[in-house]
Amino acid sequence: MKRWLALSQDWRRVGYAVIAAILLFVLGQAVHPGFLRLNSVATVLVISSFVGLVAAGQCFVILIGGIDLSVPWVLNAAAIMLTVTSLGQEGRAPWAILVTLGLGVLIGAVNGFGVAFLGVPAVVMTLAMDGIMEGLTLGLTGGFTCGACSSYAPPVVQAMAHGASLGFPNALWLWLAVILLVSGALTLTRFGRATYAIGNNPLAAFLAGVSVPGITILLYAASGFFSALAGIMLVGFGGQASLGMGEPYLFQSIAAVVIGGVSILGGRGYYLGAAAGAVSLTVLVSVLLALDMPDYFRSILYGVVILALLLLYGREETG
Amino acid sequence: MSEAVLTRRSRASHVVGQNIGLILAGSILLLAILVYIGVYLIQLHRLPGNFAVTSTVNSAMPLIFATVGQSFVVLTKGIDLSVGGVVDLSNAMAAVTMRNSPGSMALWSVAILLVGAACGLLNGLLVGLGRLQPIVVTLGTLSIFQGLAIRVLPQPGGAIPPGYTNLLVNPNHPYALIYVALLALAWMGFRRTRPGVDLYAIGNDEAASRSLRINVLRTKIIAYVLDGVLGAAAGLLLAANATAGDATTGNGYTLTSIVAAVLGGISLFGGRGSAVGAICGAFITTLIVNILFFSHVDPLFQSFYEGLFLLIAVVAGGVIGGTIRRRR
Repeated sequence: MKRWLALSQDWRRVGYAVIAAILLFVLGQAVHPGFLRLNSVATVLVISSFVGLVAAGQCFVILIGGIDLSVPWVLNAAAIMLTVTSLGQEGRAPWAILVTLGLGVLIGAVNGFGVAFLGVPAVVMTLAMDGIMEGLTLGLTGGFTCGACSSYAPPVVQAMAHGASLGFPNALWLWLAVILLVSGALTLTRFGRATYAIGNNPLAAFLAGVSVPGITILLYAASGFFSALAGIMLVGFGGQASLGMGEPYLFQSIAAVVIGGVSILGGRGYYLGAAAGAVSLTVLVSVLLALDMPDYFRSILYGVVILALLLLYGREETG
Repeated sequence: MSEAVLTRRSRASHVVGQNIGLILAGSILLLAILVYIGVYLIQLHRLPGNFAVTSTVNSAMPLIFATVGQSFVVLTKGIDLSVGGVVDLSNAMAAVTMRNSPGSMALWSVAILLVGAACGLLNGLLVGLGRLQPIVVTLGTLSIFQGLAIRVLPQPGGAIPPGYTNLLVNPNHPYALIYVALLALAWMGFRRTRPGVDLYAIGNDEAASRSLRINVLRTKIIAYVLDGVLGAAAGLLLAANATAGDATTGNGYTLTSIVAAVLGGISLFGGRGSAVGAICGAFITTLIVNILFFSHVDPLFQSFYEGLFLLIAVVAGGVIGGTIRRRR
């Protein structure tokens, strides 16, 4: 008990997020027996991984006090880019994936450039970028009527979302790798320390020799990368791209990051918490779906539970 | 401190410096109006008449109210993502309840505005008492308000009495501008009251305001309640415009009200801007849509240009504002 209390407040919040996820799983089992069956848990976790991937990028930019509102249409554009460039052919898949991820990185870097060099507030920059990507996606595909638009994702991409290796779904292997990579980068590297430093005090970070614009661009580029990666996984999961498929991931990714104990003001929190937050949200939605509730009630409960979780452990210290 | 800083500046220079955001917003609005008239002239070979002006004003009305509401919260360094949900709820309630009698219209309008106030109160309490960040609180309440709106009006429909439409957004004359003027006047009055001054103080430095014995909790709650009331008013105007209800058309107002507030010179970092600027911003946003429409831009590319114009306006505004501040 002593040791638990000795944990920093930030790690305690990660703990709470994990406990919330587990409790929600148990609640699911209580209201819908069979919820805790292995394959049902695996499905929920695979669906969480899509939110989790977006949340990785969101977590990066929120850690420096930013936000990425361009997620919906970067994700959507990436999904369409993948199917249109690969045309569902296995041989084209590798470079189609590269082009798609490159697109995400490029858009993210432009976001970072606007925030770092043009001094545009992150909310405005990424909101404008979301509109720009929506217009480009709709315009260039002729309102999604292009011949290549209805192509399927190449089998290898579908296998990435549906298949399993060593008895463990591929999507979860990928997410596990992302969790390790992102957490490692944030806690063990110079880059991670610079990120937290900027989030706590950009001026102090600058005076300490951190390249604030460089790191900012890098973080937004990473967010674009993860949105694109989520787009690829989603198109693999669903088989085809569709318009508006990125819409739910904006608010869910922000909610996951915040439920995971990351401060929206920046500088505090860990990706592990955000990952647990992504699982919590997905389990919550699955439980509400399993309860066969009307849409409106699900929406209300979703909001109530998010607020309740935040009131339980997401409050700021008294000012 | 250098000599230059201590010398008294002319009154004009002082006024320019104090209202730089507003002046920029006004200039962008003027530019937008000129471009609108130009495009209209080229495409239709005549000046926009009564009909064009009336429809532009009427379509801007809901956004104006939502943006002014959003501004109250943004001035305290907050943000309201739930305003779209409040617009939805108010819009749905109006379509379900309103009957064609003056009593029913008045009664339900007041009731719906009170519901908006209650929504704002919930946000304000969670932010102020709950010590949660505005962005996450309103993210949660957005979901709740949207759910309630769909519960009230599951399918688009209902009806708004024509008398109500004539009163709020008269389709024949731009009488709705009277409400805009009243809103601006009310703002100017509020700006000079105690809560109005406190609003700016909190947005500029919350800790300092607290040490000056400003009641931060009360001021924040006032800001969110006013935001809720104006969001509900936006929903009523939207319903009056459409003469029917839809529990989802309000969603867009969350993001457009933020865009309009920013274009209106309200700083997302709090403490800077005015409702008059917000009104300008809402008109600019509406005019951009109209300009794109009249210049026969492929509607599919519409959001591309909207995003681009937003960026250009904000970047140019930042550069010009920065230059003027530095030269003073």
